[in-house]
Amino acid sequence: MPDDAIQVDAIQKLYGTMKAVDDVSFSVAPGEFVSLLGPSGCGKTTSLRMIAGFIEPSGGSIRVHGRDVTHLPPEKRDVGFVFQNYALWPHMTVAENVAFGLKLRRKSRREIAAKIEESLSVTGLSGYEDRLPKQLSGGQQQRVALARALALEPELLLMDEPLSNLDRALRVTMRRELKELQARMKMTTLYVTHDQEEALSMSNRVVIMNGGRVEQIARPYELYETPASSFVADFVGITNFFEGTLMRCAEDWDEVRLASGQVLHARAGAGQGGQPGDAVRALIRPERVTLLSGPEEGANILRGQVMLAEYFGAVLRYSVRLDSGETLRLEVHNFDAILENGTPVHVRVPPEHLRVLPLDGRA
Amino acid sequence: MLRRVLPPLLPALLALLIFVALPMLWVVRTSFNELVDGAYMVEALSLDNYTRFLGNPWYLVNTLWFSVRIALLATAISVICAYPVALYIAGTRGLLRNVLMSLVMAPLLIGLVTLVYGWIVIFRGGGLLNSLMIALHVYDEPVRYMWNIKGVVILLVYIGAPYIVLSLLDSIEKISPYLVEAARNVGASRWTAFWKIVFPLTMPGLYAGLVIVFSLNFAAFAVPLMVGDSKTQMIGLVIYREALLNNDLPFASALSVIMVAANTLILLGMGALFGRLILNKLEVKQ
Repeated sequence: MPDDAIQVDAIQKLYGTMKAVDDVSFSVAPGEFVSLLGPSGCGKTTSLRMIAGFIEPSGGSIRVHGRDVTHLPPEKRDVGFVFQNYALWPHMTVAENVAFGLKLRRKSRREIAAKIEESLSVTGLSGYEDRLPKQLSGGQQQRVALARALALEPELLLMDEPLSNLDRALRVTMRRELKELQARMKMTTLYVTHDQEEALSMSNRVVIMNGGRVEQIARPYELYETPASSFVADFVGITNFFEGTLMRCAEDWDEVRLASGQVLHARAGAGQGGQPGDAVRALIRPERVTLLSGPEEGANILRGQVMLAEYFGAVLRYSVRLDSGETLRLEVHNFDAILENGTPVHVRVPPEHLRVLPLDGRA
Repeated sequence: MLRRVLPPLLPALLALLIFVALPMLWVVRTSFNELVDGAYMVEALSLDNYTRFLGNPWYLVNTLWFSVRIALLATAISVICAYPVALYIAGTRGLLRNVLMSLVMAPLLIGLVTLVYGWIVIFRGGGLLNSLMIALHVYDEPVRYMWNIKGVVILLVYIGAPYIVLSLLDSIEKISPYLVEAARNVGASRWTAFWKIVFPLTMPGLYAGLVIVFSLNFAAFAVPLMVGDSKTQMIGLVIYREALLNNDLPFASALSVIMVAANTLILLGMGALFGRLILNKLEVKQ
């Protein structure tokens, strides 16, 4: 859309013949929080750095509020950037770090002082003006980096794994603070992370990347519940995969026969226009599988034995060896006891939650 | 701490004591002795050798102050020559970098005398440089580059610059490229990012290089001896002459003490200046 804050159109980055970023397109609406999520080497950071102007794209175009910035140097882009390793200037105090960009914009002394105060106060750093970066903890340094970016009131904020150098407890706190701050300031944000929890919990939408390409762009809920590919299903959360063949596509239900011969029902249309006989993958999330209290008969009811019980406190995850030979992971949230290994169990795979994806080469 | 560190350091400390500390003490002691006609020197506790130098304006101007000026000038030109080289090398990789590093290191590996005579061949009246400049009509008469102050400065720069390149390179490579990107990101041009971020952060390397090169220049004696003239009375040269040609060890010793003291004072001054400008900030502890 023309009024998008960022419009990335078919950008590419080649290193020799290696395509680090291959035909990536997405957009970010004003005020929106979008994450680029993917494993290391998927091209997410390269894409972000192209938007900031640190890397020249080999092709495609980048627009910021309708203005083509594809070939502008970074200093002409009015885009805030927060680095993974903070990148604070070690010879400048906190206040000087924040003031640097303001001075370059030839703001008045009073304006600069007011901006320093404001941006340090929103990031919780009031009183640290005269400290040097080395005198701050990692979390404080990242707040300075954020304050430095926010002080310039950029049209959009780019963040490159800003929390990944922090320890876990701090990361969770900062994640929440960052999201609150972003929502309060309505700051258009593009956020790179390899941490799916961060991406799911903070973002309005997630762009999931793999091997330099976009796998899926969706809201966190859709991404998790209706992954567009096996890669997405596997990367986001835990998924049970069963390879099999699509047997039946009908008005009432679809059917998949697993390699072991076991037949599973799925809701009508789950096969997504596939033809009977197509090789497919059937996917089910562990928390959607129901552990039955006793023997039952019927469609999608499977028998097996508990192989492993992993207890996480609120969640109990069983690995069940099915009689047909496959292993199925399932999660239980309300439980009164933990089943011993070897206990025979019956489980139900609800047809409405079974996803069927074509067995494509990319997965 | 001391118990753990001392044993392995003992041989080195012993060597320092025998080969540095004791000779220096001997020099200090000798500087108070007297030279008597017909004798080598006699034990005494006299300040004559010091007043002979410090009380003589000719020495102060033409030797001490002259040495300071030449050393500062040669060091400054070395920095100007070395900085762009270090910046360029920092941006190279692989073969090119190895070749450039070898070129920079070469003068440090070749004997000083060989080096100086090599340069004389290039810079003398009918040498390579003059022939080239006259052939290109840059000037018509040969310019005298050797056996004067110019010659001394040119060679001191040539010998000193590699040290500055090496110590600057170390500093430049420690600067994360993200610091420059962060500056560009908030609106700094390439030049501003260099001037406000990279340059200040190379000060530790520059300072280390300055200390080495200034001290080398200040104490230089071979270069003024080989390519200087009667006006290039640098203090190292005067010490050499007094000690080995005039056999006046007490006076040479007093001059040595004055040289080391002056050098130390100047380095302390530089240290204070750099410390105030930037080093104190960079060395702050968490």
